[in-house]
Amino acid sequence: MSQSLRPYLTAVRYSLEAALTLSNFSSQEVERHNRPEVEVPNTSAELLLQPMHISRNENEQVLIEPSVNSVRMSLMVKQADEIEQILVHKFTRFLEQRAEAFYILRRVPIPGYSISFLITNKHTESMKTGKLVDFIIEFMEDVDKEISEIKLFLNARARFVAEAYLDEFVY
Amino acid sequence: MEADWRRIDIDAFDPESGRLTAADLVPPYETTVTLQELQPRMNQLRSLATSGDSLGAVQLLTTDPPYSADAPTKEQYFKSVLEALTQVRQADIGNVIKNLSDSQRDVLVKYLYKGMSVPQGQKQGGVLLAWLERITQVSGVTPIVHYISDRRTV
Amino acid sequence: MSFSNSKDKSVVAVYKLVKAPIYSHCFSQDKSILAVTCETDCLVYRVSNNTPPVLFATLKDHDKTITAVDISIHGRIVTCSQDRNAYVWEPLSDGTYKPTLVLLRINRAATSVTWAPNGYKFAVGSSARIIAVCYYEHENNWWVSKHIKKPIKSTINCLSWHANGVLLAAGGTDGFMRVFSGFIKGLDSKESVAGSPWGQKFPFGCLIREWYQGSYIHDVEWRSQMERIAYVAHDGTLNVVDYQSPVQSVNAPEGLPYRSLVWINDHEIVCGGYSCHPVLFSEASEGWKFAKNLDKSDNNKSSALTASGNADELSGNNDESSTFGISALRKFKELDLKGKVSTDVQESAHENAIVELRPFAESNGQITQVSSCGLDGKIVIYTI
Repeated sequence: MSQSLRPYLTAVRYSLEAALTLSNFSSQEVERHNRPEVEVPNTSAELLLQPMHISRNENEQVLIEPSVNSVRMSLMVKQADEIEQILVHKFTRFLEQRAEAFYILRRVPIPGYSISFLITNKHTESMKTGKLVDFIIEFMEDVDKEISEIKLFLNARARFVAEAYLDEFVY
Repeated sequence: MEADWRRIDIDAFDPESGRLTAADLVPPYETTVTLQELQPRMNQLRSLATSGDSLGAVQLLTTDPPYSADAPTKEQYFKSVLEALTQVRQADIGNVIKNLSDSQRDVLVKYLYKGMSVPQGQKQGGVLLAWLERITQVSGVTPIVHYISDRRTV
Repeated sequence: MSFSNSKDKSVVAVYKLVKAPIYSHCFSQDKSILAVTCETDCLVYRVSNNTPPVLFATLKDHDKTITAVDISIHGRIVTCSQDRNAYVWEPLSDGTYKPTLVLLRINRAATSVTWAPNGYKFAVGSSARIIAVCYYEHENNWWVSKHIKKPIKSTINCLSWHANGVLLAAGGTDGFMRVFSGFIKGLDSKESVAGSPWGQKFPFGCLIREWYQGSYIHDVEWRSQMERIAYVAHDGTLNVVDYQSPVQSVNAPEGLPYRSLVWINDHEIVCGGYSCHPVLFSEASEGWKFAKNLDKSDNNKSSALTASGNADELSGNNDESSTFGISALRKFKELDLKGKVSTDVQESAHENAIVELRPFAESNGQITQVSSCGLDGKIVIYTI
């Protein structure tokens, strides 16, 4: 139902704009350290803000976990059948292995989601938050298109190869 | 003998660590609301929603939410809230939102996010997202900024 | 030095000083000297009318990011940083600065520092859940500190001294705004707090009042003549309290929280924060409300924060109305057609959040100009 795509992306956009209000926050537990509080397992509760779930349906969801100096955003991509599950897994692994080039990508997704981003105050200080949000929304739109395209090409190739092989046996 | 002594969280044993837990942050409530006290509200909500009085139903559920109830009570109450919200017709959503006050919109946003975090709500994702879109068209990003920093949960 | 394209003429000057975020800045009392934090150094500039600031000293003693800088009425600069230290820099006659040791005795980062109005003591807030009030000890030529600990539960973000030099307002990430007594025997006198509506006795470190806000307090400032305090919090509100009335609260019109505020006069406050431009609030008979925006760009940005909520449609007959935001395909299409990309043009002077506002020029008891520093490395001066 593509008419819920626009409200879905609007909701993610507004939620991200609200969450990306980060400050440089030095660790309270470890001296001289400055670490993203959302990633620390036993951090003090006042540093974490309320998580936001945004779901279009049970298979497409976004989880945004804000904190005082970092935001973690996890995305579950629509996977209709087993082929798409494999394709999404390979696609996201390809991106995750090149996470340094992306700056905001997390190398391992949160359990239950396909891919995760970690944005810290260092990123919002050197990049404009409007552009970061634009990038993530574009990414969400493009991932679906890419996966469908890959699946089409996969099926086309499989058909071509099967025809070429089985032609041998037709008389 | 501790098997994984390298991963002990040493700061948890420090009496002066000063870490706060989620429970420390919520302001103390005088009384806890019980499920019996909420029953009349839930019944009224159901009757308002089925009779088509969407504005009345939404105003009832966004005024004075049971912040002080315990988790299972909140779950039960939330089921009737979700029912009421999904029964509102698409065309009425805009009108209802226009007639809510700012604090009522804040509470509504809390219920929408809570709805999208549980499976019954995710099935109705389209409806909840439509509500959220209309609210942001009216109030911008303000209710969401209020949601993330408010420690009281519905 | 460039000026923004916004319609109002509120921007007086824009100085892009460094490539890193400026977390804190301060002018000396006669506005001839500007101190700016840049990563681990504090840069000191000489400022004169209409010319860009000229760097004349770099204060280099800290190991980690400097979080705050303040200049006293005597011209002493105090800097504090995430390496748990603070230094007081004395200006020498040849234009250089000599550091003096400060014994803070905190074991976490220092987050903010502010001189008392008389220039003989200063308060430092830290991530160690402690406020350290420091005063000079002649025998050893250093500054020693006294700690305020109870009942602070989390990092202190901001501090503000009352004009009497005893009452100290503090806000932090535990959601409370508190007023403590910073009375130091030998430096303060009981006469300065005689007749104060806040109480009779002010022993050091005693909590005078506290207000629960709930979200992080980013900045706090006293209006001493009116005995009122204003503070901005992470939920996008500006709050004003005094010793008897309940809290008066007003929401930011654009929703995003503010990081800093300045009292302009007894009934007006300017705030700046994540919306990248200052906003003026004023008090009317029914309470505080939004007055005007300063240096706000026109509403044709393609950001979805406007109430219309739709992307800027420069290409009118766009058949991709189902997608949202600038899609890559449309970007290239437009680049091909028009030779430029129709992304939003940031028109306000600051490209990233405003972190600190300071009063810059005053006349008749009213602040007429404020200066701001931001995460984009710029100092901007606005006229109200």
